Amino acid sequence: MQIKSGFVLREVCGEKVIVGEGLDAINFGKLLSLNETAAWLWKQAKEMGDFSVDDLAAKLCEEYEVLADDAKADVAEMLDEWKQVGVVE
Amino acid sequence: MTNYYTVAGHIFSVCGEEEIFSRMDNYAPFSSGAAETVVFSLSVEGGEPPAYVEEIRQDDEGQVIICGRTPAGEPVFEYRWGGKSAGWLICSADYVRSRLVVTDGYQKLAVDNALMVLYALATARLQTALFHAAAVSYKDCAYMFLGKSGTGKSTHARLWQQYIEGVELVNDDNPVVRIMDDGQAWVFGSPWSGKTPCYRPVSYPLKGIVLLSQAPYNKIERLRGIQAYAALVPSISGKRWDERIADGLHQTENTLASHVPVWHLECLPDEAAARICNETISA
Repeated sequence: MQIKSGFVLREVCGEKVIVGEGLDAINFGKLLSLNETAAWLWKQAKEMGDFSVDDLAAKLCEEYEVLADDAKADVAEMLDEWKQVGVVE
Repeated sequence: MTNYYTVAGHIFSVCGEEEIFSRMDNYAPFSSGAAETVVFSLSVEGGEPPAYVEEIRQDDEGQVIICGRTPAGEPVFEYRWGGKSAGWLICSADYVRSRLVVTDGYQKLAVDNALMVLYALATARLQTALFHAAAVSYKDCAYMFLGKSGTGKSTHARLWQQYIEGVELVNDDNPVVRIMDDGQAWVFGSPWSGKTPCYRPVSYPLKGIVLLSQAPYNKIERLRGIQAYAALVPSISGKRWDERIADGLHQTENTLASHVPVWHLECLPDEAAARICNETISA
């Protein structure tokens, strides 16, 4: 999986938001609001380029005190939402 | 000949044959003396259209703007009206030096559109935004009305002028907002005002921004944070797939969303809409 080209993480009035700014994302027309953890995961995903649920869950376990199964379930749920909104493929 | 103009405190220059300037009456109120540094310069010329590769196009009721790049990487904008090319704008990468190749037809439209694009792009990093909005003044402050085309921005501005004492039109279509060094946002008139001639070099502190939408009733509510930001973004001209432009505009939009009250007015085109809006946002 990867983050679609043209999507950018921005800080808007103190909150983390994904906006479509690139040529391929200019007609996104929405803002996707992320909590601190999701924003941190977005940055990890962006750095990795190509990533899987397991990759991000592993990162999450390194950074936060969380059980492996919980991390995997949370990441899978978050990625499902991102897929539905259309910011990953 | 070369003429200089000041809009929202930013000076730009236009160079070309005298004939071009005979159709630039809307710029006369913004005329300024020659300056050593300008935010951008435009040279209007004849000549051959440039070779370029299309990146994206925007079609607005038969007015087509095609954005692309020359083989050397220079940004290009081609303007077409009714299927006919009116001009090609070829820019330096930072939009500071540009030339406009014009054809026989629609020269005035090509010059106006080129200057608007250049102004929006060259000032994006300078805490400045060219809005698609109507702006009015009331009690020494400015208020801006935003909304999609056809929502009734001009109509709402006219209703304020008609029913509220002391209201004047600042600009009907393209006011400029600039965040000054002290952090305060100001609205400025511009040489571009859509169908209503209103080319006034005036400025006022920005006290409120209203997103309009049509409804069978009148209701106003405050937008905050991300909602306020989301209301501003579609009303600001730019080229957001250019990262530096997007970064500059984001800073301006974020400052405005944080510091200037933003409202959503669902309204009818009537006196009551103007009154409820005026009383709420100028309180």
